[in-house]
Order: sequence, then C-alpha cells, then structure tokens
Amino acid sequence: MTPLLSPVYRRRMWVNRFNLLMSLCTMAFGMIFLLWILYVLFANGFAALSLSMFTQPTPPPGSAGGLANAIAGSAMIVGVATFISTPVGILAGIYLAEFGRNGWLARTTRFMNDILLSAPSIVIGLFVYTVYVARVQHFSGWAGSAALALIAVPVVVRTTENMLQLVPSSLREAAVALGAPMWKVILMVTLRAVRGGVITGVLLAVARISGETAPLLFTALNNQFASSNMNAPIANLPVVIFQFAMSPFEDWKTLAWGGALLITLTVLLLNILARTMFRQSAPR
Amino acid sequence: MQIQLSRSTDTPPNKEPVAKAPPKIAIRGLDFFYGRFHALKNVSLDVGEREVTAFIGPSGCGKSTLLRTMNRMYSLYPGQRATGEIRFNDDNVLDPGTNLNMLRAKIGMVFQKPTPFPMSIHDNIAFGVRLYENLSARAMDERVEWALSKAALWEEAKDKLKQSGMALSGGQQQRLCIARAVAVQPDVLLLDEPTSALDPISTAKIEELITELKRDYTIAIVTHNMQQAARVSDYTAYMYLGEVVEFGATDALFFRPARKETEDYITGRFG
Amino acid sequence: MPSDAAFIPIDMPIGVARIAASLRADAPPPKGTTPSPWGDAVFEGITRLFALVVLGSLAAILIALAFAAWPALEKFGPAFFFTNVWDPVKSEFGGLAPIYGTLVTSLIALAIGVPVSFGIAIFLTEMCPPILKRPLGTAVELLAAIPSIIYGMWGLFVFAPWFADHVQPGITASLGRLPLAGALFQGAPSGIGLMTAGIILSVMVIPFIASVMRDVFEVVPPVLKESAYGLGATTWEVVWNVVFPFTRVGVVGGIMLGLGRAFGETMAVTFVIGNAYRISAGLFNPGNSIASALANEFNEAADPIHRASLIALGLVLFVLTFVVLACSRMLISRLAKGEGART
Repeated sequence: MTPLLSPVYRRRMWVNRFNLLMSLCTMAFGMIFLLWILYVLFANGFAALSLSMFTQPTPPPGSAGGLANAIAGSAMIVGVATFISTPVGILAGIYLAEFGRNGWLARTTRFMNDILLSAPSIVIGLFVYTVYVARVQHFSGWAGSAALALIAVPVVVRTTENMLQLVPSSLREAAVALGAPMWKVILMVTLRAVRGGVITGVLLAVARISGETAPLLFTALNNQFASSNMNAPIANLPVVIFQFAMSPFEDWKTLAWGGALLITLTVLLLNILARTMFRQSAPR
Repeated sequence: MQIQLSRSTDTPPNKEPVAKAPPKIAIRGLDFFYGRFHALKNVSLDVGEREVTAFIGPSGCGKSTLLRTMNRMYSLYPGQRATGEIRFNDDNVLDPGTNLNMLRAKIGMVFQKPTPFPMSIHDNIAFGVRLYENLSARAMDERVEWALSKAALWEEAKDKLKQSGMALSGGQQQRLCIARAVAVQPDVLLLDEPTSALDPISTAKIEELITELKRDYTIAIVTHNMQQAARVSDYTAYMYLGEVVEFGATDALFFRPARKETEDYITGRFG
Repeated sequence: MPSDAAFIPIDMPIGVARIAASLRADAPPPKGTTPSPWGDAVFEGITRLFALVVLGSLAAILIALAFAAWPALEKFGPAFFFTNVWDPVKSEFGGLAPIYGTLVTSLIALAIGVPVSFGIAIFLTEMCPPILKRPLGTAVELLAAIPSIIYGMWGLFVFAPWFADHVQPGITASLGRLPLAGALFQGAPSGIGLMTAGIILSVMVIPFIASVMRDVFEVVPPVLKESAYGLGATTWEVVWNVVFPFTRVGVVGGIMLGLGRAFGETMAVTFVIGNAYRISAGLFNPGNSIASALANEFNEAADPIHRASLIALGLVLFVLTFVVLACSRMLISRLAKGEGART
C-alpha cells in the first residue's frame, strides 16, 4: 500500500492543484475582461449622457449635438426587421418541429439554419447590397432591415423549434382527441404552451440585431439628418458610432461613447429580460 | 395463436338470458404495426354500448395501442398503421376516407397524464365545444357548468373558472380533462390509464365518476391495475403480446377464467 | 334504443346490455362549425414555404456573391487568392493579405481562446460552488452579448495603448530574441496590428467555445465520472482522462464554432488591425482581414473591378466560414447523439 506522502501521490496532488488553479485563473481572465470593458464603457459613456443626446440630431464636427436621429433610425430599422423576422422564424420553426420533423427538407433546413446563425454579418450585408441596393442604385432603411432580418430569423427559428419540441406529446394528443384540426392544435395549444420561450427567442434576436454594425454599412448607410424615409439612407446608431469613433474629432468621439453605452445597455437589458421571462415560463 | 372471443354464457340460475344489444364498437380482425413490429394480432372484440369495457395485461401487451386505434390517434404518426375493421356507427373507422375530426367528436379520449391546456378552466372546456358549435356566451357558460358537474368538478372549480387549468391539483386536472372530453358530447369515452398518475383518493373519485358516466357513455378503459378493472368494468379483455387471450364478463373472467394464462396473470403468478 | 325510466333493477345480471338510459342532459345537438379539410393543408403549406425561404437564403447568398464577384475572378483567375497586391489606381487586386490576416488573427484567437475556454468550462462544471454557477455562467454569456463595435472601441482607445505601453515591449524584448520564432514578435509598439486584433478576437470567441464545452461536459454520464472518483482519481485526472476523451468530438466542434465566428468578426478587428495590405512575419505589425477590408473600403470603391474584388473576398470569407461551421455542427450533433469518444 502506497504511503500517503509518497512522491507519486504528492506529484498528483500538485498537478491537480496547479491545473485547478489555472482553471480558476481562466475564469478570472474572462471576468476581468468583462469588467474592464464594461467599466471603460460606463466611464466614457456617462460623460456623453445628457438630455441633448436624445433630443438633438448628429452634428457636424466641431459643434454640439446629439444622437436623436440615429436612435430613431435604429429603432425603425430594428423594428421593421423584427416585424419581418418574427413570423417567418416562428412559422419555419413550427414546420421543423411539427410537420417536417425528420424529413429531408427539415433536416437540411435545420443544418442550413444553424450555419446561417453564425454566418458573418458583413457577408449578409454584402448579399443584400448585391441583390437589392446595387439594383435600385440607392441605399435604404429597408435594405438595412432586410439584412438584419436575415440575421434574426435563424435565432427565432432555433428557439421556436427547441421550445416546441419540449411540449409533451400528450398535450398535442389531448387536443387532437377532441377533434381539433392540426393548425388549431399547433397555434392554440402547442405554441401557446411555450409562448414564453418563443418570446424569449424573439427578444434575444432583437438584442442581437440591435448591436450589429457591419450589415448596415452597405445597406442603410447613414444620414446626417433626421429623416423617417426608409427608402433612403437613414441614420442609425451603430454606423454613426463607427464613423464618429474613427474620426479625429473629440466631440464626435464623446458622442460615440455615449451611443456605445446606449446600445450596450439596451442589449444587456433585453438579454436579462429574455432570460427572466424564459425561466418563469418554462413548461413543466 | 388462437384468439378467444369467449363470452361467459353463465347466467344466474333463475333469470333468462337476455339478447344482447348491438355493440357500440365492433372490432374484427384488427392488426396493428409500429413500422415492421406487429403490435396487435388479429384482435376481435365488442365494446358494448353504455358499458365499461376494460383492457388489462402486462406492460407492452398492446392494450393502449388497441385503445388508440379506436379514435385513430395513431394517424398522427407516420409509420404506424392498422388493418382490419373497427365498426362504429355503421362505418369502418380504419377507412382512409373517414373524417377524423368528426370521429373524434364522437369518440373522446382521456390520457394517463392530466393535460390541461394552457388556458383558463372555462376556456379548456370551451375549446372543444367551439370546434363544433357556435354557442352564445351564456349557452357556453351553461355547457361549461354542465360538463364540470358531470365530471364532479363543478363545486371545486366554480369560483376558479378564469384561473389557469394548470392551477388545479393532479386529481382535479384529470377531472377537468374528463369534463373537457364530455363537453363535446361524444358517444364513447376512451380512458388510457386515467388514474395511474394520481393519488388513491383522486383515483377513488374518478372510479366513482366512471360508474356514473357509464349511464350516458360507452367507456373503454385501459388499466394496469386489475383491482380497478374488477371494480369498475362490466367486460374485461386480458391481452398478452398483442393478442386478446380472453374476453368476457368481468365477474366471469376474474372468478372463473377460462384460460390458464388469464388465471396466472390474475393470481399474480405472472406479470 | 328507447329511453326508459332511469331505474336499474339491482338484481339484473351484469352481462345484460339493457341498462335504463338516463336522459341525456339539456344541450341541443351540435350545429355550426365542422372542421374543414383545407385548413390543415394550407397551414402546413405556409410553414413549409417559410422553411424553404430559410433554406433558400443560404443558397441565394452563395449564388449572388459568386455572380457579383465573377468580373474580378475572371480577370485575375485563381491567382487572386495567392497574390498580394492591392492597387485601386491600376485596378490590380490580389487578396492574399486580407486572407492571411483573417487566418492569422483567427488562429491567434484560438491559441489564446481554446485553453481559456477549456479552463472556464472545467471551472463551471467541476469546481464552481452551485450558487455561483448560474451568475458566472450568465456573465460568460454576457461577453457574447456585448456588441462587436464596443469591443472595437475599447480595443482602439484603451486596450491597444495599454498593450503597447505595458506588454508589447516586454514580449518583444524577451520572446522577440528567440531564433526563428522571435521574428513573430517583432513590430513597432503602436498596439495596432494582427496580435492586438487576435487578442480581442479571442475574448470575443471565448463565450462561444466555453458554452459548447460546458454543454458537452455536462453530457458525460455521472456514473462514468463517479467510477473514476471512486478509484481515487483527482478532479484534474477525471477531467483529463474521462471527461475530455468522452467529449473530444464535441470539443473540436466547439472550437470550430469559435473559429467560424472569429473569421467573420468585423467591427472589433477593423478598429485595431491597421488596414495595411501587407504580409509580414511580425505579428505586431498592422495588417488587414477580409472583414475589415470590406468595412473600410467597400463604400468608397468606385471602380467596378475594385468592388468585384472586394466581393470576391467576401465570397472567400463566406465559403471558409460555411465549411468550418458545417464541420462544427456535424461534430457537435454527433456527440449530442451520444456517440461519445471513439475508443
């Protein structure tokens, strides 16, 4: 029997302790970066936070201003994108979970959907540019929404399908046993049973597209002025931040931090909201 | 393998045998397949009108499968198919042309796990009714009350009609499911192990309910609890490995089983 | 059957089917709606249509990009991918530098990100006290939620200067002196370059890789771990010898997912990579990635060949990402099906 303090045992103990310590360090590494980024964001962003940020439009360099038109433009673009992507995503998700299940169309769609989920957003912007913007010869808010919708749809499809798969078959069968047609069973019973989870998916998709810059670079572009014309370049927060941050002007840079803080707060809030909603409504 | 369609012909000594009325559901030569697996083999039996017919047998014997053929529940799943004949109201249920929605309006089902819909108690019941009838709000409320009373749930639920169905206890949820099935006024109720997920007191209440309900409805019940079958049913079928080993009046089957296999199962020597 | 009075003689034998029928309750016979057979077919058709839309969009992206990139590909041929020249004036383009930059920054991101993610996954599954599991798990996922442009700004204004002042000189002085490998660590201490971009990228991919690793670690059957612990193995030994081999396939899948994400990351990289069409050994030198080239130049590119060349780069990025993500997905779903490690 090996004595407790034998060299083999001691070495194993040290290896164990070392590696677990390393593991703890990696966790700390991740947390340090998270806190660092958030700290920098808040510290720089608060300097820009003021009422004028919400009320005044983007200024030319050297004058005071705000981000009102960019905020409004982003709200419109994200709003339209959500409006398009939610029904498309939910219906496609219903097909995958309820009708297609394991057929070839469903399996292929699932596979492609998962790839689209992680596809580079700049390529999606490029795609919308080549098929739409280049043809109509002008940038527009609609193109921006189209690009964002393409990014949001896979998220909604994935969550909807996963949620529907959690519904026990006995619930479906109980509705079918009453003689209800399949579409009523799905819409009024199955989907309803997991509506919390599906809404969570939509919220997560909105959070994701709210922060996206690259797809808007070639589609919605930007607009210095306030406008509600979606058929033309329209101001939006991410592109404005990009332009201002890369510029040499101090007041533009300050506004960029303010905008960055605003976007991050929105995204974090949506994420937290989505997660608490999900936990409350998980089907039993 | 032989199938026995054995009816006990015993009658109490001083009564004349009375002619049996035509069965509500007549099953003849039913075979069922899960893919290539032959789950039900040449099943033939009758489900008598306004009687309780029980299916008993060990796990995997096919009793739930048999129940689910009667309302074509298996049609939801590709790869499951049935051949043979199930006569109900002069039609063969297995016919591809059968209108499944109308069939299920006449043959209702209650499942093992209570399945309240994610809606209020009132809407749970109204859901089924609205599939077939356009009732005014007042008529609907009356129907809801009637269904809940039939399921012996009205007193407990009448103040909670707007609350979610999932707020009820397990036994209450199951009675809600029974009320929901009854509300569309079917002819037949199929009960698939309705009490196996419930506590003894709820079980007793539901058994009482079944005895009441059989005055109006034809009932087929699957149960793994033999004593329950003995308590509530009029006719019992003992199944094993997809075949009906014996079918007869409950008393006869339990006290004077005709087949040794039946006797072994009932006395606990097997299963 | 005639309805009789609701009186059932007690001594009637059970087998007799004549049970006095009690009157059915009040409600009138059903009238009104009959479910129509068309509703279901239409509904299924609509959902199938939208599934086809999703399926079709991926194909559409590939085709549209290939079409738009064709002028450049036709003019330069396959040499486009292996030549390093970018001259908008003479309309001569060869995309080697951005392709190189994309690959190098992503590899740096993995080199740092994979071990860190592994450590985080171990921490969350084996070491973390239960009450901290969810908040810490959420915190890691928040790293993924922070928009890319925030990483870019933080990188440009805070991290790059800090790195240039405090870390880079040290590395150049020490590792930069090594033979051969030392050449990697050369470069002006400006903080702008492939290395900085790679480091920021690594922080961005860590949450993705760590989540996948954590999910696959949790798939390991507890009895497997318990049998190892029961033999007296330490936590590390269980992780290295039982958990990791069992989940190897899924771990590789997670790494490829991180790689796919790193390839496509735009804003964070654009801020700090330097926008220079050059290939040099020194990782601290500025360079370019496909995504940052697109972000910086596309809108100003007037020459159609210039545009087409950029789109060709976009096509390369898309194909690269597609391949990596497809592999990743296949590997992860293989593990999810419980195939475990091949022994």
